[in-house]
Amino acid sequence: MNFPNNSNLTEAEVRRYALCYGLALASVAAAFALARMFIYFHLPQPFTSFAMSAIAITFWYGGAAPGILAAVFSIFIRNYLFPEDVNLLGRLGYNFGFIIFALLMIGVRRRRSNLEVKVAGRTAELTRANEELNLEIAERKRAEDKVRQSEAYLAEAQKLTHTGSWVWEVGGKRALHLSEEWYRVYGFDPSHGLEAWRKRLERIHPNDRAKRQETIDQAINNKSEYDIEYRIVLPDGAIKYVHSVGHPILDCSGNLMQFVGSSTDITERRLAEEALRQAQSDLAHISRVTTMVELTASLAHEVNQPIAAAMTDANTCLRWLNRDEPNVAEARGAASRVVKDATRAAEIISRTRLLFKKGTPQSELVNMNDVIREMLVLMIGDMSRLSIAVRMELADDLPQITGDRVQLQQVLMNLMANSIDAMRDADGNRELEINSQRGQNGQVMVTISDSGVGLPPQQADQIFNAFFTTKPNGTGMGLRISRSIIESHGGRLWASDRLPRGASFYITLPIEPPANE
Amino acid sequence: MMVQYQRIIAPMSLGRYSLVMVTEAKMVAIVDDDELMRGALQGLLKAVGMKAQTFASAEEFLKSGKYRDTACLIADIRMPGMSGLELQAKLNAEHCCIPTIFITAHGDAKMRMQALRAGAAEFLTKPFDDEVLLETVRAALES
Repeated sequence: MNFPNNSNLTEAEVRRYALCYGLALASVAAAFALARMFIYFHLPQPFTSFAMSAIAITFWYGGAAPGILAAVFSIFIRNYLFPEDVNLLGRLGYNFGFIIFALLMIGVRRRRSNLEVKVAGRTAELTRANEELNLEIAERKRAEDKVRQSEAYLAEAQKLTHTGSWVWEVGGKRALHLSEEWYRVYGFDPSHGLEAWRKRLERIHPNDRAKRQETIDQAINNKSEYDIEYRIVLPDGAIKYVHSVGHPILDCSGNLMQFVGSSTDITERRLAEEALRQAQSDLAHISRVTTMVELTASLAHEVNQPIAAAMTDANTCLRWLNRDEPNVAEARGAASRVVKDATRAAEIISRTRLLFKKGTPQSELVNMNDVIREMLVLMIGDMSRLSIAVRMELADDLPQITGDRVQLQQVLMNLMANSIDAMRDADGNRELEINSQRGQNGQVMVTISDSGVGLPPQQADQIFNAFFTTKPNGTGMGLRISRSIIESHGGRLWASDRLPRGASFYITLPIEPPANE
Repeated sequence: MMVQYQRIIAPMSLGRYSLVMVTEAKMVAIVDDDELMRGALQGLLKAVGMKAQTFASAEEFLKSGKYRDTACLIADIRMPGMSGLELQAKLNAEHCCIPTIFITAHGDAKMRMQALRAGAAEFLTKPFDDEVLLETVRAALES
């Protein structure tokens, strides 16, 4: 029962008041009318009951004030509109009854209000709770969406990098989680579920199984991480290279429970590396050919010698045979000299033909001393003509290295040719010194030193740059390619000045092949 | 010391080959660092009845002292150590006018001019025509 603070009542409120108080009056009037009708029909007069009902109804639906009005009105009607004679006590009784009833109804009304308030309160609480619940639901949905999105991003990242993640239990030797990409890497259907884990062993390349198992067993024993590369063979015969990394998960007591990690399909990278190696080999080949073209002049001279000798010997043979009395014995001698001359010419050509050959990079055991001697034989013509003294100090116990023989020959030829060029126009002692020895860290070290014009000042490392040359017809690629060949074998190539005059070139090569071989 | 001898010439033409018999062998010296070439030249001269001595280097030739008896010298130009032209200069300095024939793989005009101006009898490039060589040797021996 709220009275508004402002004096302006809204129309709704006016209507409400009218209804409530109208109800009060109307209900009592109705009760009166009904009572009157009962009297007319000689029925016991029920005004009190009806009036009380009216009062109750008014209290319930109209409110406390209209209820009181109804009660008062009822008292009034009872007292003044019913002519039966009831003694004062009776009348007081009835009036008192109405008053008591009204008071009771006030209580009822209050209870109802309280109830309403409580209900409203409960409703409000419920509404609030509902709202909060809705908020929570919305929040959770947002969080779920975020998780789903980040999972989608993760899956996308995995797809892009061809990396599948996994978790496997050490005890039960079964998978606890396999990401979608993992199935794709191994070529399984994701609907197979975690069972596919066992089948993966079948797909691992037979040659790689032993080493892989060994590495994993070791990791289990040491409770350590593992990092392995192996091939897998898909049912259609395709081969993929896989790089697997696993991290151990221990429980609180330090027992090994699971491994969690990823497997990446590195086939593309491997193929790219292979293509790079092939391109490098092609480049080295081109450089070889170019260098060989530079050496052609000296080669032509070298081959010319035995050919000229062969011509002379052949003509000599003919002379012996064209006499009136042919001297077969002498002719034979001359003819065998022709054979010797031609053989020497063929030897020179075959030695150099090897360097023109283009091939995929081979990997074999190479003794650098042999390579040095082979290249020296090739250059001996030039060196003797230029009066270059050669000093060799090759270690007897030089360990073999793993590499591409032809490429290493090319490097030595390039360095020797450079040294010869450096001494071509130098006066004084012309000396080429070649050393081979076992270096520190189990490496092979080869040193080529000359007494020529030496390195350009302050440019000791720039000479290895592409297109750097001091020769008018130089391509500038020789040292660049030589260095990249040595580096691809896991070694180093550098130069330094040599006192009193000249330059030294140093090559180091590891005995163990580089890691990715 | 050179002794003049009566030469009996019995030409026996067989196509382009003519044979000259020389009764007294005049020594021809061959100086070349290439073993095959030395053998080939010596064989060729033997086929026409000339005697030749071979030397692996100019120094060896000079050291042997045989240059005094040499009637003709066939030499390579590019050799380790003393070159053919240097040998020629040395011989000229000692007034040993030995007719010299140069055989070389490098035949640039400048070198040829230099050799001929210094008194060489001929300058041939490898591979050479053996007939030309023999003609020159014969001419040198006759002079």
